[in-house]
Amino acid sequence: MTQHHPDSFILMEYSAGNLSEPHALCVRLHLEQCPYCRSRVDMLDSLGAVMMESRPKVSVDDSLFDRLLTRIEDEPAQQDPIEVALRGHRDPLRKLLGEDLANLPWKRQLGDVSVLDITDHFPGQPERVVLQKLTPGGKAPAHTHRGTETTVVLQGAYTDNKGLFKQWDFIVMGEEDTHKPIATHDDDCITLSVLSAPLKLTGRLTRLLNPLIR
Amino acid sequence: MSTLEQTTTRSEGHRDPWGVKLERVGKHQDREAYRLLFEHFAPQIKYYAIANGIASHAEELVQEVFVSIWRKSSLYDWRKAAASTWIFTIARNQRIDMLRKMQRTSAEISVETEDLWQIPGENEEEPVTALHRLVSERRIRDSLKHLPEEQVTVIAKVYMEHKSHQAVADELNIPLGTVKSRVRLALNKLKVILQDENV
Ligand SMILES: [Zn+2]
Repeated sequence: MTQHHPDSFILMEYSAGNLSEPHALCVRLHLEQCPYCRSRVDMLDSLGAVMMESRPKVSVDDSLFDRLLTRIEDEPAQQDPIEVALRGHRDPLRKLLGEDLANLPWKRQLGDVSVLDITDHFPGQPERVVLQKLTPGGKAPAHTHRGTETTVVLQGAYTDNKGLFKQWDFIVMGEEDTHKPIATHDDDCITLSVLSAPLKLTGRLTRLLNPLIR
Repeated sequence: MSTLEQTTTRSEGHRDPWGVKLERVGKHQDREAYRLLFEHFAPQIKYYAIANGIASHAEELVQEVFVSIWRKSSLYDWRKAAASTWIFTIARNQRIDMLRKMQRTSAEISVETEDLWQIPGENEEEPVTALHRLVSERRIRDSLKHLPEEQVTVIAKVYMEHKSHQAVADELNIPLGTVKSRVRLALNKLKVILQDENV
């Protein structure tokens, strides 16, 4: 089980359906692997149901139910169990990328770092969405954030001044945080990061060299 | 008797009446049960739509939610989720879907709403772990009554008006930290925060 989880505020906004699509994807990928957070989201979903039930009710048009019956007339309530089983296990990232992580058209930026900007997969969303791959032991350039950077580790692990982050860990870096991730030596480290605002470089690297800046 | 059977038998006594109706829809396409669910939940969902700022599409949302309930009802398992929780997540997803369709500029949506936001119980086989959901929904319902109004207001804005905690703070003209501490107090009292979590 992973060690780094989204906090209750993020999970509440997820449960309420308020997160942007890229942020929801990060939470969803973590939930897939984290029974602890799944159970927290279950409770928050119940809180949503109880909230909805405790608010005012607004009567609906009398004809609405009849129209509904007409609409479902030809619809079997049953679903194809195979289709359902497949849907339950679809991996949203795989579906989005249409490829395994290994086969993506990575763009090499520095010796250790490759990136793939997948922002275009989320039309109309304000965030930047970036996949980053560090070779084993590879170092990412140090950077700070003007907004937040939400990261899910998809493969391998990295360390920075905050600790060790393994596969499916969920990390939020705030405005004040500077970090310099270094992949562990056993494997490529692949992360998905959602950036709410552009990054600021620290250290000697130029803007050109920073994979997290366009 | 296995543990699962014992737990199942024990909780049979508290069986959620809406869950029973939902299962009748799923198993027998029972239109009377469907109508009772509609009468109970449609006015809640209509308010949900209005609170979410889509009043002009409120009945359309109600209809989409109920079509979705009809289609998915055969997947519903009362041991995996309380009916109202299950229906809430469908209403939430249909609301997200509707807004996505309205705001969509390009024709292509690469990830479906349900890939990002799952309906509880759709993706798991073990009812035992899910059983606590029924209990926790009941507990949340009972303890919500005792929460201070200022905490309920904040949570209601997050759930019913799809506002971020920051947006709630802006609207109420209070610091984000105050919003978060109200949420934290509420979640503690509702026992939604598990004990080992430090927010
Ligand atoms: Zn977790």
